[in-house]
Amino acid sequence: MSRIRVLLVDDHTIVRQGLRRLLETDPEIEIVGETGDGRTAVAMVEQVRPHLVVMDLAIPEVNGIEATRQIVEGGSGARVLILTMHSDDVSIRQSLKAGARGYLLKDSADILKAAKAIARGGSFFSPAVSKLLRAAYVDEAKAREIEDNLDLLTEREQQVLRLIAEGKTNRAIAGLMSVSVNTVETHRKHIMEKLDLHNTAEIVRFAVRKKVVS
Amino acid sequence: MRQPLMERIRVLVVDDHTLVRQGLRCILESDPDIEIIGEAPDGRAAVDVVDRLHPDVVVMDLTLPELNGIEATRRIVRRHKDTKVLILTMHRDEVFVRQSLRAGARGYLVKDAEDIDLLKAVKVIGRGGSFFNADVSRMLLRDYLGEDGNKDFDDDLSRLTDREREILQLIAEGKTNGEIATVLTLSPNTVETHRKQIMKKLDLHKTADLVRFAIRKQVVS
Repeated sequence: MSRIRVLLVDDHTIVRQGLRRLLETDPEIEIVGETGDGRTAVAMVEQVRPHLVVMDLAIPEVNGIEATRQIVEGGSGARVLILTMHSDDVSIRQSLKAGARGYLLKDSADILKAAKAIARGGSFFSPAVSKLLRAAYVDEAKAREIEDNLDLLTEREQQVLRLIAEGKTNRAIAGLMSVSVNTVETHRKHIMEKLDLHNTAEIVRFAVRKKVVS
Repeated sequence: MRQPLMERIRVLVVDDHTLVRQGLRCILESDPDIEIIGEAPDGRAAVDVVDRLHPDVVVMDLTLPELNGIEATRRIVRRHKDTKVLILTMHRDEVFVRQSLRAGARGYLVKDAEDIDLLKAVKVIGRGGSFFNADVSRMLLRDYLGEDGNKDFDDDLSRLTDREREILQLIAEGKTNGEIATVLTLSPNTVETHRKQIMKKLDLHKTADLVRFAIRKQVVS
């Protein structure tokens, strides 16, 4: 059987080159190109006709999601495996919407397994990602187009989120929002459940990431 | 593959992303003068491995859980005079370079460098030298000649002791006093005392404020 032709896309050169060597240890895989930006990646797919593109998300010129979309719509038949540090809902959803066949986190070790599975026509997701997808599948009944998991929160909950991240006690928040402390605690519980957060520190980090607070 | 010219340089690779670590290992193992003696996924494990196996060079990422790269570097350099640290990170900000140098690193490479740069850096540092690329060298020269007005961004952090900075990171990672006590083999009372000290020194009064401070100082992501 002919070897699996792979194009590597990551702007951290040393990471890309390490990945190249890692993949080259497998006799079934042939690296046919590498680049650090999305625009070149799309162009290279036309030239070198890989079976598989291993794509980082945070790349310059044209980002990983957009490059994936262009490659999948380009009709060359190349399949895309996203390889990234980001494990958030939005990145995963957008990648799948753009047509990626797999999503692998950089702290996993399954690159060879993933590459071969996708090249043979299947899909592959890191265990952590599979869990998120399964949860989303179960939620399908609610069927909303969630572009940002901040949207999972009601307006009141977003308000409480901001106040928690600003360091206010439940009592202070209750005063500011003219509700009972019990209500605030309920909101806090819902926020943690919806966003899969487990303590104040995680709530604050989420709020900073979403720029709800600085 | 040619025979090594002299005793091989023993290297420990530290990065929290498995694939990155494996890739780095592949690059380093391709050189006959280099021997990988281990890998570690976080700063605490890194210090542990250095204590046990005494590598010549540690290739250290900066953003690590449990104990970040700067703190791990500081600890390793202090305890092991013969172990040298090469920082390999995606961060190119001057603040990180300065912190790395102050912590005792002998080299600083950004992840968009090439594999040959990594090999060169490890070998130069392993044989006793330092390794900085042109941009970093220029920055260091500017600092030395006093041309930059010497902005010291990490003043607040440097007011804390090593132990306090370590606890700050764990607080920001969401650990309870009990969990921190277990990880650091201290009593929960001691942890609480440290926590109060940290808040006093930084003039911050709530956990949320500590977390935001830690994020701003890149102690945690």
